[in-house]
Amino acid sequence: MKLEEYKKIVDKNSSKEDKFKNVFISFIIGGIMGVLCQAFCTFLNKEIGIKLEDASMYTTIMLIVVSSIFTGLGFFDKVVSFAKCGLIVPTTGFAHAMTSAAMDHKSEGIIKGIGSNMFKLAGSIIIYGIIIAFFLALIKGVI
Amino acid sequence: MTLEFKNAYIKNSHTLIGRNEHKTQIKADTNLTDYYDNEKSVEQAEASFQRKTIENLIKKENLKYEDIDILMGGDLQSQIFASSFASRKFNIPFLGIYSACATFVQGLIQSANLLDNNVKNVILTTSAHNLASEKQFRFPIEYGALRKKVNTFTATGSVSAFITKTPSNVKIEYGTIGSVVDLGYNDANNFGACMAPSAAKVISEHLNDTKRKIDYYDIVLTGDLGIYGLNILKDYLKKEYKIEANNLVDAGSILFDKNELEKIAGGSGPICLPLILFGHILKENYKRILLVGTGSLHSKTSCNLGESIPSVSHVISLEVIK
Repeated sequence: MKLEEYKKIVDKNSSKEDKFKNVFISFIIGGIMGVLCQAFCTFLNKEIGIKLEDASMYTTIMLIVVSSIFTGLGFFDKVVSFAKCGLIVPTTGFAHAMTSAAMDHKSEGIIKGIGSNMFKLAGSIIIYGIIIAFFLALIKGVI
Repeated sequence: MTLEFKNAYIKNSHTLIGRNEHKTQIKADTNLTDYYDNEKSVEQAEASFQRKTIENLIKKENLKYEDIDILMGGDLQSQIFASSFASRKFNIPFLGIYSACATFVQGLIQSANLLDNNVKNVILTTSAHNLASEKQFRFPIEYGALRKKVNTFTATGSVSAFITKTPSNVKIEYGTIGSVVDLGYNDANNFGACMAPSAAKVISEHLNDTKRKIDYYDIVLTGDLGIYGLNILKDYLKKEYKIEANNLVDAGSILFDKNELEKIAGGSGPICLPLILFGHILKENYKRILLVGTGSLHSKTSCNLGESIPSVSHVISLEVIK
């Protein structure tokens, strides 16, 4: 049997993902995250008197710390599988990916386990983030 | 390639299940609650599962370690870590085997074949650990990667079977060794679809070689195709081999209850089939049983290389004598 023909049998018998529902959940949760972070940033800026630039950096750090701790406590994976890209796309997803990979390899030691495996999911984000940042900076410099 | 066995019987077994499988219909001999089983890592825990089932099986049979001729084992971890490390404690000649989730059936064929020679008895062991497989094949355990409905869930546990020349209730009749089949399908989320073609091929080869009809068997138990994979197999058997099968049951899709099956396509892993066989099917009134172990032969590297997913399935026919 040809692959195309077989794929028809597979498609007929496999369940479809509810894409609309997934996108909707991600949109709402991602949106709530954005609102909360903006509130926190404004709070730091207006009430505590931190400069706006610094306040947004602290907000990002807060997200990373909180999601890493939640991952470590062992319940964040369930939250992420419900919230989907609503939590994966923001910095929370990045921190979560690093912490979970580190936890996985903890038993293999600090150097060969945690150290070399921590970036196995998040490494791509860092390396391509730096490359894109370089080109954007180049474009900005030229213009 | 079908082999007929004259002197092979499954005499006894020991089953062990993890905490996710407690609510299933399987009546296991050991129910564990700790995924780590007092070990440092999940990989070592899986080795400990196997060690426990082997020890308990030997105890059940009132045998000494030196009475066992051969220990055969396989699992999903790289370099079959669990089996090799479980067997290092025993001074029993060891054969390590791998054909992913078809490992148990491959082991039955090899054991039965050895028994037709000068071997008196074999202990066949297999195991799987959900967390160890997630870590090796998918994403980190705590990552909680998004699951599709067609994804299956690796069952946790271990099964050891005592296979001997001395006649007992369950006779191993025929074994058919399947070939590696690859239609070019490459969705690593949908293992049922990856493995169905090889299962269909080996079933049809078995029926041709033994000159039997599929209705000869009371039940045809496939390994871990899942609820969607089972329907794919039925359709594919009908279209490609003109076999209409109404006695097909998939071990993976009856392992977990209906509530679970709304989220996942069923259980998977090499222990699905033996768990359902020893914990459920052999306790019911089935006389002629056809076991179809289905294994997907991919690795993380092969998927990253953009390769399609080959699969292999093997068949064993059992006769229950009461």
